[in-house]
Amino acid sequence: MANITTPQPAEERTYERFPLARRIEHLTMLLSFTTLGLTGLAQKFALSPTSQFLVSALGGIEAARSIHHIAAIVLMFGTMYHIILLGYNLYVLRIRMTMLPVLQDGLDALQALLYNIGLRKSRPQMGRFTFEEKAEYWAFVWGTVVMGVTGFMMWNPITSAKFLPGEFIPAAKAAHGGEAVLAVLAIILWHMYGVHIKFFNKAMWTGKLTETEMLHEHPLELAEMKAGLPDREQDLIKIRQRQRKFFPVASILTLIMLAGIFGFINAEETALTTIPPQDELPVEVYIRWTTTPRATSTPTAGPTLAVTPTATSTPIVIVVSSDITWDGNIGPLFQQNCGECHIDDDKGGLTLSTYADAMKGGRNGAMFTAGNAAKSQMIIKFESGDHTDFKLSPQDLALVKAWLDAGALEK
Amino acid sequence: MRRLKIARALLLFAGLVLAALAAAGLRSEPARAAPHIDRVSAPAAQVDNSVCLDCHGEPDLTLTMPNGEVLPLTISEGKFQQSVHGENEIACTDCHSDFSGFPHPDLKADSPRAIAVEYYTICESCHAEQYNKVLDSVHQRALAGGDKNAAVCTDCHNPHEQMRLTDDITGDLLPSARMHIPQTCAQCHSGIYDAYQYSVHGSALSDEGNLDVPTCIDCHGVHNIQDPTTAQFRNETPLLCAKCHANEKLMQAYDLPTNILNTYVADFHGTTVTLFEKNSPDQPTNKPVCTDCHGVHNISKVDNPQTGIALKQNLLVKCQRCHPDATANFPDSWMSHYVASPDKFSLVYYVNLFYKFLIPGVLGGMGVFVVTDFMRRLIERRKGAAH
Repeated sequence: MANITTPQPAEERTYERFPLARRIEHLTMLLSFTTLGLTGLAQKFALSPTSQFLVSALGGIEAARSIHHIAAIVLMFGTMYHIILLGYNLYVLRIRMTMLPVLQDGLDALQALLYNIGLRKSRPQMGRFTFEEKAEYWAFVWGTVVMGVTGFMMWNPITSAKFLPGEFIPAAKAAHGGEAVLAVLAIILWHMYGVHIKFFNKAMWTGKLTETEMLHEHPLELAEMKAGLPDREQDLIKIRQRQRKFFPVASILTLIMLAGIFGFINAEETALTTIPPQDELPVEVYIRWTTTPRATSTPTAGPTLAVTPTATSTPIVIVVSSDITWDGNIGPLFQQNCGECHIDDDKGGLTLSTYADAMKGGRNGAMFTAGNAAKSQMIIKFESGDHTDFKLSPQDLALVKAWLDAGALEK
Repeated sequence: MRRLKIARALLLFAGLVLAALAAAGLRSEPARAAPHIDRVSAPAAQVDNSVCLDCHGEPDLTLTMPNGEVLPLTISEGKFQQSVHGENEIACTDCHSDFSGFPHPDLKADSPRAIAVEYYTICESCHAEQYNKVLDSVHQRALAGGDKNAAVCTDCHNPHEQMRLTDDITGDLLPSARMHIPQTCAQCHSGIYDAYQYSVHGSALSDEGNLDVPTCIDCHGVHNIQDPTTAQFRNETPLLCAKCHANEKLMQAYDLPTNILNTYVADFHGTTVTLFEKNSPDQPTNKPVCTDCHGVHNISKVDNPQTGIALKQNLLVKCQRCHPDATANFPDSWMSHYVASPDKFSLVYYVNLFYKFLIPGVLGGMGVFVVTDFMRRLIERRKGAAH
C-alpha cells in the first residue's frame, strides 16, 4: 500500500509508457514553457527586484523580450508537431482516444476526493490517462490557445487593430498575464504534486513504468495490456492505405501551419524594431530674439523685462511647412476636384466633406497618413494610377503631399 | 609671442580684479548670506559711481568695435539704482576695475560679444556657488567648445539692471522673477519660447500669471543646465513630469488626475522606459516618454480640438510617428492613462475580473485534491508502518 516508498524489485517487469519522440517533445515544451514563464512574468511584474535582477541578467528588457519570442516560436513549432502527430495516431494508427475527457473522469475525480476524505474504501481504478493527467493536458491546450491568440495580438498590435477594436490589445495583455499566472501556478501545484511529490514518476525521462507503478497508477491499462488487447490498428495493409491519404493532407496542413507561424512572426515590424520617431518639426535650439514684431502676450504682473536686441543678431526666418491646411487649401481643393464622387456621393465609403470625414477614410481604411505622404493610401492610389476615375494635376497632388508630410493639419 | 601677450594681459587683469575686490571689501557692509563678497585687506583706489555716470549717464553713448559692431555704453542710473547691485551699492569699478582711471585703457576685445565672454568670469568673485554650477552646464561646454554665442552669466542677468530674483531671507525665487524666466531664455531660444508661449503651461503663465506652471528652469534646472537631448534626460522624463502631475495638492486645483505615472508605468511603453531608467539610464529606448505624445514645449490641453490627444485622430498622428502603419482603431490600444473600469476599457476590466475568479477557482479546486490526497497518503503511510 505504501506506494511512496516501496522499493522496486530489480527484476520487475516494465512497460513502455512514452516512446523517445514523446519524451523529446515533453522536454522541448518544458524548456519553452519555463523560459516563457520566467521572461514573461518578469515583464508582468517588471518593477519587482527579482524581475529586475532577472531582466538585467538576461541583458535588458529588449533581450528578455527577444528570448520570450524565441521560446514562443519553439512552442508554436511544438504545437504544430503535436497536431500532425495526433492526426497520424488517430487517423492512420487508429489509436484509441485515451486522452478524451469522458463522464467516467468526473466520477473518478469524485471517487478520488471521497476516498481522500475517508468516505470511500478505495481509490478509483483508472486507465492510460488518469483524470489528473487529462485535466493537465486540456489545461495546457486551453492555455496554449489563449496565449497564442493574445500573444499574436501583442506581437502584432497594428495588424490586430486593423480587424479588431484597439481595446482588444490591452485586453489581450491582461488575458496573457492572467493566463500566465494561472498556468505557472497550476504547473507548480498540480504537475509538481502529481508527478514529483506524491510519487516520483520518471516515465517522461525513462519512458517506462514498472508493473507495481502501473498497478497503482493505471490499473485498467495494465489489465488491458495483460489481456493482449491492442490499442491501435494491427493491419499493415490498412495502415499503408491510410498513410497514402494522410501524408499529402498532412503536408498541406504543415505548409499552412508554417505559413501561419511565419505570419505570426512577421506580420509587422514597426512595433518591434527600433525606428527613430519622426519629428514633426526639427527643433532649432539657438534662435536669437529679433527686433521683428512678434506676437508676444504681455505678462499681467511684475515689471517687464527689457529685452535688448543685440547688434550681432541677424533675423532668422523660420520656414514652417505646415502653412498648408485643410481649411485653407486642401478642403477647397478636394471640394473642387473630388466633390462629385466623395462629397455628393460616398464612393468607396469615403467622404471628403469635412476634415474628420476625410481622416476617417473609406471602406478600405484610412486614406491619409498624417506626416507621411508616401504611406498615404490616397497618394499611393493616385501615383500608381489606381484611381482611374479621375486624376489630380501634378501641382495639386504635390500640394496634397506637402500637406500630408507637414502633418495633415486641419487649421 | 601672441600667447605671451595674452598671458600677460590675463595676469594684469587678475591683478586688477583683486584690487577691485579689495576695494569692495573695504566699502561694503557685512555681506548677506549669499552672494558672498570677499574681503581683501589691501586698499585700492575707490571711484564713486557718480564719476562714471558723468559720462556713461549720457544717452546714446556708443563705441564702434573693430569688427564694426556698435557697443552701447550708456548706463541708466535709475535702472542701476533699482537693480540688486545698485541696492547693494556695488561700485562700477568693482567689476570694471581696470577702468578706474581716465583715459580708459584700450579694449583688447574686438566685438561686444568678446567683451561679455571676457568679463563674465568676474561674477565668480561674489557668486561662486552659481558660477561653479554653471561650469557643469551645457552652456559652459558649448562655450568651451568654441561657441561664443553660448550663454554666460551676463546674458541672463544684465549686471546693470538685474532686479532681485530671490527672497532675501528664504532664498526662494520671487514670483516676479518666475514670471520672466521664459523671456530670459527666449533671448537665445526664441523658437522654443514661441512654442512654449502658446502651450498650456506658457499661456497660463503669461495670460493668467499662474505661477504653478513650470517655466524653463523647472524642467531644465538653473545654472547647471544639462543637455536635454541625451538618453538619460529622455528616460527620466516621466519622473520629471510626475514631479507636478503626481502631486495631488497641486493637481487638485486643476481637476487633473494624479495617477498618470502609475498608469504609464503599467503600460507596455512605460514599463520599458522605467526599466531603462532603472537599469541602464544612459541607454536609448524607442518607447515613448510623456513628451513624445504630449509635446515638449508646445504641450497643449488634451481636449484642445486641434492638437489635443484625447481626440483619437490627433492621437493617431502621434502613434504614427513610431508606427507608420497604424490605422484608426490603433490609438485605443493605449489606455490613455485610464484605469480599466466598467465604463472605460470595460473589456480589459472584465478580462481582469475573469482571471480574478478563474485563478483562485482553478487553483483552489486543485488545492482541495492535492491537500486531501496528501493527507490520505500520510495516513496510509502511518497505517502501513504500524502493521
